[in-house]
Parts: sequence; structure tokens; C-alpha cells
Amino acid sequence: MSQAATDKPNSPEPKRSNGFQISRRAFLGVSAAAAAVLTVVLALKRPKLAEPVETQTTKAIDTQELIPTSCLNCPTRCAIRVRKVQTLAGETKVVRIFGNPNSAYTEGKCCSRSHVGLQVLYNPDRFQTKPLVRKPDTTKGRGVDFVNDFEESEWADAIQLIADRLTAASPDRLLILEGLNTTSNEDLIRQFALAYGTPNLFVEDGLETDADREGKMLADGRSNSWYELMSEDETESTKYILSFSAGIVESERPLARNLHLWGELRREVPNRVKVVSFDPRYSVTACRADEWLPINPGTEGALAMAIAQVIIGEGLYDSDFINNHTDGFSNYKTLAMIQSFSPDSVSQISGVDADTIRRIAREFAQSKPAIAWSGEAATSWPYGTFASHAIYCLNALVGSIDVPGGIVYQQYPPYAAMPTDGLAISDTGISFRKMADLLRDGAIDTAIGFQSNLIMSVPESREGGKWDEILKNLFYVHVGPAKSEMAAYADVILPACTYLEDWGYESAIPGSGYAEARIKQPVVEPFNESRPTARILFDLANATALAAFSPVLSTPEEFPSAFAQYRTAPFVGWADFQSAGVWEGPGYTYQKYDFATTSGKFEFHSDQLERLLNVKLPGEGTDYPLELTIYRPVLEIRSGSQNFPWAQEVYLVMHGRGWKNLVEINRETAHEYGIGEGDEVIVESVFGGIEGEARVLEGMRPGVVAIATGQGHFASGRFADGMGANPNDVIGTEYDEESGQPSFFSTRVSIRKA
Amino acid sequence: MANWGMVIDLDKCVGCQACSLACKAENNVPHGSPYEQKRHQDIYWHKVIAATEGEYPSVNTQIIPMPCMHCEHPPCVNVCPSKATFKRGDGIVIQNFRRCLGCRYCIVACPYGARNFNFKDQENEEYQRPDLPPDLASEWGGLKFGAEIGPWPYPHRTRGVVEKCTYCFHRIDEALLRIENGEDIEIGVDVVPACVEACPTEARYFGDLDDPNSGVSKLLASRTYIKLREEMATSPKTIYLPR
Repeated sequence: MSQAATDKPNSPEPKRSNGFQISRRAFLGVSAAAAAVLTVVLALKRPKLAEPVETQTTKAIDTQELIPTSCLNCPTRCAIRVRKVQTLAGETKVVRIFGNPNSAYTEGKCCSRSHVGLQVLYNPDRFQTKPLVRKPDTTKGRGVDFVNDFEESEWADAIQLIADRLTAASPDRLLILEGLNTTSNEDLIRQFALAYGTPNLFVEDGLETDADREGKMLADGRSNSWYELMSEDETESTKYILSFSAGIVESERPLARNLHLWGELRREVPNRVKVVSFDPRYSVTACRADEWLPINPGTEGALAMAIAQVIIGEGLYDSDFINNHTDGFSNYKTLAMIQSFSPDSVSQISGVDADTIRRIAREFAQSKPAIAWSGEAATSWPYGTFASHAIYCLNALVGSIDVPGGIVYQQYPPYAAMPTDGLAISDTGISFRKMADLLRDGAIDTAIGFQSNLIMSVPESREGGKWDEILKNLFYVHVGPAKSEMAAYADVILPACTYLEDWGYESAIPGSGYAEARIKQPVVEPFNESRPTARILFDLANATALAAFSPVLSTPEEFPSAFAQYRTAPFVGWADFQSAGVWEGPGYTYQKYDFATTSGKFEFHSDQLERLLNVKLPGEGTDYPLELTIYRPVLEIRSGSQNFPWAQEVYLVMHGRGWKNLVEINRETAHEYGIGEGDEVIVESVFGGIEGEARVLEGMRPGVVAIATGQGHFASGRFADGMGANPNDVIGTEYDEESGQPSFFSTRVSIRKA
Repeated sequence: MANWGMVIDLDKCVGCQACSLACKAENNVPHGSPYEQKRHQDIYWHKVIAATEGEYPSVNTQIIPMPCMHCEHPPCVNVCPSKATFKRGDGIVIQNFRRCLGCRYCIVACPYGARNFNFKDQENEEYQRPDLPPDLASEWGGLKFGAEIGPWPYPHRTRGVVEKCTYCFHRIDEALLRIENGEDIEIGVDVVPACVEACPTEARYFGDLDDPNSGVSKLLASRTYIKLREEMATSPKTIYLPR
């Protein structure tokens, strides 16, 4: 319940509608309908109008505004405009969200996630109080009671409580968890970590992206590469997309841009793009692609090498690019040509026909520019970095690096300096493995989470205790707008406002090449007692007496907007930024070939790629014969909460179902295990078990079980709790060796009727 | 008078459901619950359905966005005993909540499942628009475009009536008034229904099917198209372009 609702007086008792209407209604009912219908009509409660027809106004709105700001329901952070109306009754309502036509990045479009923003703002399970401090001897985690387990505290007292703890403790015993935050707040969180002196900043985004990025960085040393799809000149568009288990139109970032360009590449360009999807699961992307080629999970890397063998063997590679801008090609060539990477051998492990591999490889090499896109499911494996590298190298083979419609290197807005610029902390913080080790070893005793969703998004662990126990032993401070699982573990909850009430700026994530900045400005004042994250950090830094925190002189109230103004001042006037909502950088220059590797060239690293052959296939006859794969539907709101009925009720578009997730399984496999459509089943691994409803379908590789993420909440509120199950509960922690990202896709499970 | 129709390009559509959500927000369509979904009692003016055929590995799923078809010969209008549902001059099939008995004959008659029954009173959500009443467009007699009252008074959905997609007729009617007042806007280009506006892939088009120069007419002339359940002789005006 928000401010607007609490301010409203109770609505008056509805007046009875006038007699004439009722008699006419009843009369029509008797004369026109049969007796059965009459029963229905009488059984229904008659409509009662709140006011007579004649007095209903013809005009309900006094004023309206379209406020440019940006979305934060996924990491793409699209520019949006929000319609706010002032009713004649004096209410302020935020009623619609649209794309912002000033944004070239998404060309004024936004995806379905943006519309859910209204329910994020008016979420009935937002914190309505001042900060909450946990009473002693109350339950953390499951079974939390946000009303009785906590005591309301003044903002200053809560901040002081945390500051005292931070001042007393040694800096390296603090862990900072960063969920999905505004770019400006991310900068401030990093700034806080630096000023306080802790190296332990964990960015939860890395749970999905670390291995993929690491594999690409092996090749070009840059962390800002991405697939462009279409350049500013519309004729230079991508002709061929090879998706390695990538949910390009479901979950791959930048989603709204992908969706928009998908439409253009299909019908609006001279040469229609061809999309081929390798995926164990008939995903929405596979469904909308031209070809779906089901593969065994985890064989994407080997498949990429087989494709490389065909391209090299038939001399179809781009020799100009290879000769002038790459290093290590001869070793890579030797490795790619070995017998085990031949299409015939790889077809044995991947399940894709050898002739099909050859055909796809030729098509891919001969339709330029072509893109090989590595999805999360291809890289979340113990050797994920190498799978990512092998797939990325395909792009280099066909010369798609730094060309229109190929791979581009994102530029960022030239923000004003921060006081701690140049201090050593990586943009991406510590790896997941490092963080998990620190927590298990007891090296951390205090944690602060900013919109953190850790407990729902990490896989369960076998050794060193479950996450539940680890979090219960921490002193945890949660900063977030609404009830959530992490808040359930909190000792102190600081109610932050949502992104529609916040100041800030956003940078466009890799995808376009050119830079784009977007403003965040409050559509309404923060509800209840909530405060902007930037202000919470400012107060905390002051109370902890951190010298190098704020780059601007300001009062706490003014700080969020003053900080955003200071950072964006070098490139855009504040008034212009506020009215347009978007700032566009200069156009992108192609073929710079500016690689940050030791050789200064694009490097093929072939020494570890042979391990891609070493995939573990589901073992027949073992206790856990099936392989579990997870996926992210388009309406998984990436801020962690799922307490939004619009997103919930149409959650799984391929199954026409909502309010849950399903255990999706191939028809033959289901038959083998005696499972029918709609059965309640138990999915078990060595790490645990979950219960779900079976969905038997044709679009699934036999031997694979797929479950959507984003459900299984237990403390997020009325529309999320108890809906479906969280597949991460049965997934075990193994790591990608290079990046330390958890491998979400390599758990074997068994399935049986409940 | 125009003959409004919608064209949906199934080659571009990727089932992201931005249309369904934009429709809910634009028309204050109430959200459902797990209980209602199980009993098919939740209300959607626009829904995206998926129809699968074939066996592994030759599977084919069609993802089909489903607004109302606004048929040329709407069966729902024929069966309505109280003339609560009717076809406007511009071809939009519309529901007058005030005349509706709740007999649900139209729900049975509609071959597309486009109609919904209100099993509950509408909850008053904070994000609902105060300027849109699907139930009270105007006095129904003396219509010019369907209505001439500009923005609509406060919506009151009531329990026990049927409702459906209106092609966002309030946007069209408002635009017609603005055009009459000399504004240079075009329906189908500057003003479109909420689902068309929200589509990130630009897979949806709206316009006058009778005007050979409209975007939709040109599109239909250039590609093969399908109408759902044509054998029912309903002549739908929501038309699909297959891949």
C-alpha cells in the first residue's frame, strides 16, 4: 500500500443504482433469456454503480505529464517515459510506461518488462516504515515475520548502528553485495567500498556473465564487446546468427534492443537474416529461428570447434583479418583440425548430424556479417570460459570483429571524475568462488546488500554449509524497496525507494557501439519513509567518517540529484538531459582493431580448448540419469522480486501458463519414467529436491529436464510466495575454472511422481 | 467511414507479451490470480497463445497474439439478446456494459475466445487510469464517431458483465476529434491501439482496410495472409501474416 492509497479517505458507501435500470435489467432478463439464463442472472450480484450516470464527469484528469526516465527491471535499463496524471479529485497517479523515442539504442521501444514498472512502484509489499532493526532471537530466512520480528527505528539511529559496526570492524571483514542497481548507484557503491577499504565487492550480475566475458577477454582483452546486429546504416545488417543456447529474444541482453532489431532483421532489411539455434530446449528463440537443432547440453563448445574445422578445412575463413589482426592462429588451426573435432566425431557427442554441421558451417562462413552468439547455457559450465572463447573465435574466423553488424566495442559517456578513480578495484568486483570461499571460511562477519537477490540466484552448496546457514550467521544489512528473501535474512532493513522515485544516470550496456546515457529522475516523491540509495550511502559514509566518498558538496537530501548532475555535466546540460531523457554519443568507428591483449592483436588461445570434448553426458542407469537445464523467461523481472501480477499471470508464454514454473520434459523420457502431463513430480539431485508440475512436450532433447527460474519465492509478498519452485535449490556449486562463475547447467537429476 | 483492421506479422513477433501488458495498463483490465487462472476466470483483452504441432525434433510452435478479431460478421452480435454488443459504423465490435445481462451467449458464440466474463468486482488499483471507461463511452444514440465526449469518465467494471478488446476505440475517437479540430495526425501512423504502440518488434499494424493507400492495405497486398477460422464465415479484421 503506498502513500497515495493511505491518504485516500475510505470510499463512501456505494449508492444504489436507480430503480428504472434495475427493472429494465430484470425485464430484459425475463423476456429475452431462457430460464437457465435467468438463474445465472439472479445468482449474480447486481452491478452497483458508485455514482449515478448523470453525475459521472466527462473529464477525470486535471493535468498530465510524460516524464522521461529509465527502466530498471533488467540490466538493459531502457529509456522510458512515464505518464503521470493529476486527477480532478486531487490524486496523483502513475498510469502508463512507454518507450522514449529519443533513444536510438532501442528506437523508442521497450519490452514487456518495462510495463511492469507500475506494479514495482505500487507493489503492496513495499516497506512502509522507517528502517527496521531485528529483535533478538527471531527467525531469519524462511518463516520470517516482517511485522513482529522487527522494530522500527529512526533513520539516523539505524545508520549510526551500522556505522558503529563498520568503524569497529576491520574493513576486509565486510562484504558488499550488489544486485541490480542504477549505474549511478553502482558507481557510488564501488566508491563506498573503495573509501571504506574493503576489496570484497560482489556483483551479482557476474553470476550469469563472468565466464562468457572471461572467454571473450582471453581473445581481445576487452570487456565491452557485444553483438551489434545492425549498424546505423541500415543496409549493413547481420545476415546470419548462430545461437549457441542463447535466448536472444527471451533473456539475452540488451533485450528490448534485440527484440526491436529482430523485427527489423526479419522484414525491414534487403537481406533477411537467417537464425540457427543450437539448444537442448525448444526455446522462444529456437521457435522463432529458421532452424532449431537440438543438442546435448554442454556440447556447444565442441560444436563450435567442429564448425571451425569445416571453415578452416575448406578455406572459408577471412584470411585478411586472420593474417593482419590475429595471433596464435597456427596453433589454433592445428588443434581445430584434429580428428576428435571433426564433424563426425562431434556429432557423436553433440547429437547434431555431421552433414548438418558442415552445411551450417558453410552457410555461416559465406553469409557476412555473421554472428556466433554464446548464451548463458553454453558458458555456465566448469569449462565455460573456454566454451565462450571457442564460440567467440568463430566470429574472428569469418571476420566479424569490429565490422558493421558484427562484434562492436561499446563506448561509454565521459563522466566526471570520482575521487577514488585509479584506485585498484576491478569493475566486476570479486568472483563468485572468492566470495563463497570467504563466507564459508568465516572471513566475513558483516554484509551490506544493495537490492541483493543472492539467496535466490546462487546454486546450493554441498560442502561448507548451505547458504541458509551462512546467511543466518552474518550481520546483514539489506537495502531495498520491498520484501524479499534477502530482507528475510536481514538484521537491519533500510527501505530504499524504487527506480521510479530515484535520481541517477544510466549508461547503455554493450550492443550499440556508440555511447548513450539516460537520466533517472523521480516520477513521484519517494513513498512512505523510503530514501534513495545514493542518500543512504551518503549518510552512511558521513557517519563512518569516510573522507574520500563524495565528489560534490551537498546536503543529504540534495545529494542524489547533485551527484547525477556532477557526473553528467561534462557532456550534457542538466535541463536538456531532464527534458530529453537521453544523451547520445558520437557515432561508432569500425575497424579500429584496438585490442587490449599483450600482442595487441586478437589472440586465439588453443591450449585448453581440447577440454571441450570432455563433456559429461547423462549417465544411463545411474541414480541421477537426467540433466537439468534452467532458463529465464522474458517476464522474469531481474531485480529479484516477482511480486507483480502482470508478469506472473503470463509467465510462460510457450505453455500459456502463469503463477508458477513447470518441470518440462520430453514426451519419450516422460513415458519412460511413467510421468504424465500435469503430474506432480519431484526433481532430485544430490543437493536436494523440489516439487513441480510436469509439462510433457515434444520440444525438448530427451534426457533433459528444463525449469524456468524466477519462481519459488518465500518472502517476497502476496503475488510471489509459494508460486512454483526455485531450481537453484537442486543445483550444486561447481565453478568455471577461469572466472569462478558457478556452473548452473551441469547438475544431474532424477525425476519421479510425487 | 473507415473500416479499421489490424495486421500482425507472425514473422516478426517473438511472444514477448508487451502487447498483453500494455493492453492491461491502457484499459485497466484487472489482473488475475492462480485460483482464477485455474478456472479460466481471469480477464485478458489481449492474450498470446502458443499452438504446437509435430514430434521431436520436427516441432513447430506458432506464437499467436490474440486481440478481438472485430469480425465483419460477428457471431457475438447475432446472439446477444439485449443488443449489448454491437458493431460500430467503423467496424469496431463493442460492448455496452450497461445493457449486458451477463448471459454469456456471446462467449459461447465467439470462435476466438476473445470475450471475458467479470466474475468479480474490479479492485481499485493505484496505477489505474482515471480517464478511461470501457463501460460508458457516451450516450449511445446520436453517435458521430462512436462518441464525442473526449476523455472518458471513471471506469466502473461491474461483476456479471462481459467485456472484450475495443481496438482502443477511445484513442481512435479522440484522434478523430483532433483531426476535426485541424490537427495534422493520421490514425494508423500517429495514433494506434496500445498493443500496436507497445510492440518492440513492430510486428503490428493498424489502419483502414478500405483505404487502398493505408499501411495495412499495402501490407496485405504484398504478402500472403491468413484469417483465423475463416470457415466460420466471420471475416475477421485482425489479419495475420505468416512467415
